[in-house]
Amino acid sequence: MERYELIVVGAGPAGLSAAIEAAKAGMKTVVFDENAKPGGQLFKQIHKFFGSKEHKAKIRGYNIGETLLREAETCGVEVVLNATVAGVYEGRELTVMQGDSIKHFKGDSIVVATGASENMVTFPGWTLPGVIGAGAAQTMMNLHGIKPGSRVLMLGTGNVGLVVSYQLLQAGCEVVALVDASKKIGGYGVHAAKVARTGVPFYLSHTIVAVHGEDCVKGVTIGEVDAAWQVIPGSEKTFDVDTVCLAVGLSPMAQLVKSAGCEMNGIVPAVDAYGATSVPGIYAAGDVSGIEEASSAMIEGRIAGAAAAYQAGYLEKSDFESIVTAHEASLGSLREGMFGPKQRGRVQTVTEEGIVLSQSLLTKGYLDESDLAHFPSIQHGKTGVYPVIECTQNIPCNPCQDACVKGCILIGNDITSLPVINAEATCTGCGMCVASCSGQAIFLVEEKPLESTAYVSFPYEFLPLPEKGDRGIALDRSGAPICDAEITAVRTGKAMDQTHVVTMKVPLDYASTARFFRRR
Amino acid sequence: MRIKEHPILGATEKGATVTFEFDGKPIQGFEGEPIAVALRAAGVMVHRHTMKEDRPRGIFCAIGRCTDCVMIVDGKPNIRTCVTPLKAGMKVETQYGVTAKKEA
Ligand code: SF4
Ligand code: SF4
Ligand code: FES
Repeated sequence: MERYELIVVGAGPAGLSAAIEAAKAGMKTVVFDENAKPGGQLFKQIHKFFGSKEHKAKIRGYNIGETLLREAETCGVEVVLNATVAGVYEGRELTVMQGDSIKHFKGDSIVVATGASENMVTFPGWTLPGVIGAGAAQTMMNLHGIKPGSRVLMLGTGNVGLVVSYQLLQAGCEVVALVDASKKIGGYGVHAAKVARTGVPFYLSHTIVAVHGEDCVKGVTIGEVDAAWQVIPGSEKTFDVDTVCLAVGLSPMAQLVKSAGCEMNGIVPAVDAYGATSVPGIYAAGDVSGIEEASSAMIEGRIAGAAAAYQAGYLEKSDFESIVTAHEASLGSLREGMFGPKQRGRVQTVTEEGIVLSQSLLTKGYLDESDLAHFPSIQHGKTGVYPVIECTQNIPCNPCQDACVKGCILIGNDITSLPVINAEATCTGCGMCVASCSGQAIFLVEEKPLESTAYVSFPYEFLPLPEKGDRGIALDRSGAPICDAEITAVRTGKAMDQTHVVTMKVPLDYASTARFFRRR
Repeated sequence: MRIKEHPILGATEKGATVTFEFDGKPIQGFEGEPIAVALRAAGVMVHRHTMKEDRPRGIFCAIGRCTDCVMIVDGKPNIRTCVTPLKAGMKVETQYGVTAKKEA
């Protein structure tokens, strides 16, 4: 039986982070992962992450994954792939299956970072080829370069459903609708808004009645549900699709911790502030101990890795404490805000600042004109170019503040605060805030009353990229065509990391409504 | 179905073009990609039919967990095609229950 000082199960964001922290302190560390590639879900995440600099905000998930892998290699972490941990037994012994062989290992400490699995829902036709999980869609598009289908309906409006819908659009698929049985969109408003402005409709309080097709999906019928979750007769709508994508939540994969005899707290292992379970030497980190974003999983992993190293005598108490204090502060800031664990299940109607939340954003996926006036980051009718920041919920995020060297955008120390425009500063129109905003929620507007025109700049992450001189139609926040538009500039740069800043000329009256562009 | 150029990821890196067999017909795919991806690119949706009710199944999880995508590969049944890399000359067959033939 081979022995390691630390055995980590799962090479996702939490597992790799735990392994890095422990190996850095000097522990002999191995990570087992059942997949052929390490990184967990990180390599399927192609959007810019939220948070602040210390959380690697505005960096795309797959780039964060690459950095973690390099760091693991530098620290001497051994990563064993295609290796499924079948069980954890007395005395922290593990059985690991690799192909047809079974090997036994012993860990002085074990970090279980097995992540989560996708939840399922059933409806007539749910087993037909063409009904897929949201994770499958991401795997196909972002790892293997293939579209899961041509026309897709997405069920679920949590962040996964919203982000994957946007990724489907980026891959060149048509998304016909986002559907959710809930009354309100579950994920970040900024994620919903970037999908809505391309013209994808949201159907809240709707469910799938049936998926049609003999051998594979040919269509889907949805219907509105009443308070008792029953479909209201006559509310059915049918879409012609070849793919139905399910994003109905994640569940912790806690079988291993359970089998190891760890005390459970419902479906998750009971852990202390360091991720230690009730079984001495066994830690849990990441989604297995409660579903959160990858950014939080990485910090939990770091803390658990440091705790294992401290316990094994590889870290001095003072070093351990300073590592943990820093990480806990960082984790704490990610958990604040409207979407934080403390707010789960609560109905919120106003922001931390006391501003009434946009109901339109929560039910249709886009801000209504009438909601905008109350927010401190939305302005109009100014001279010169100015930013309009359509970020109206308390989410843990602040790259916009860092992006503006002119100091136009203020969030302050509390990263969940809404961005505020600094009236003292002057915007130069550089576009860095537009490209840096993880939520693609920042626009630049320049009104030219004498010419009766306005220039609107917006973030763009699709192909083909518009070109200067292209004529087309400006779309409003709901994706509805509103006026003629001509592209006057397309800015691309290394620091913008694939988010292009496109400027279009529109009639002056549309300065505060034109938010996207479609070629004719 | 293949994404020629992705706005964020650029062109997908692929292995050499290889020919394999699907239910006796030659199909091309890229070496090393999951068999299921090569099949999807060729428009194949149905991977197997269930034993009891003869219901079609195809890719569902794409990460080797659900077993909906299993097929007969080089004579071996129950191969998860979403996590099995494609090799030149592979013989891939639709699976009926656990065999390659539709039971009469
Ligand atoms: S365009 Fe440049 S100067 Fe203007 S607010 Fe954005 S980052 Fe600041
Ligand atoms: S506006 Fe600022 S806080 Fe809001 S999503 Fe964009 S970068 Fe984050
Ligand atoms: S699609 Fe689930 S195992 Fe292959």
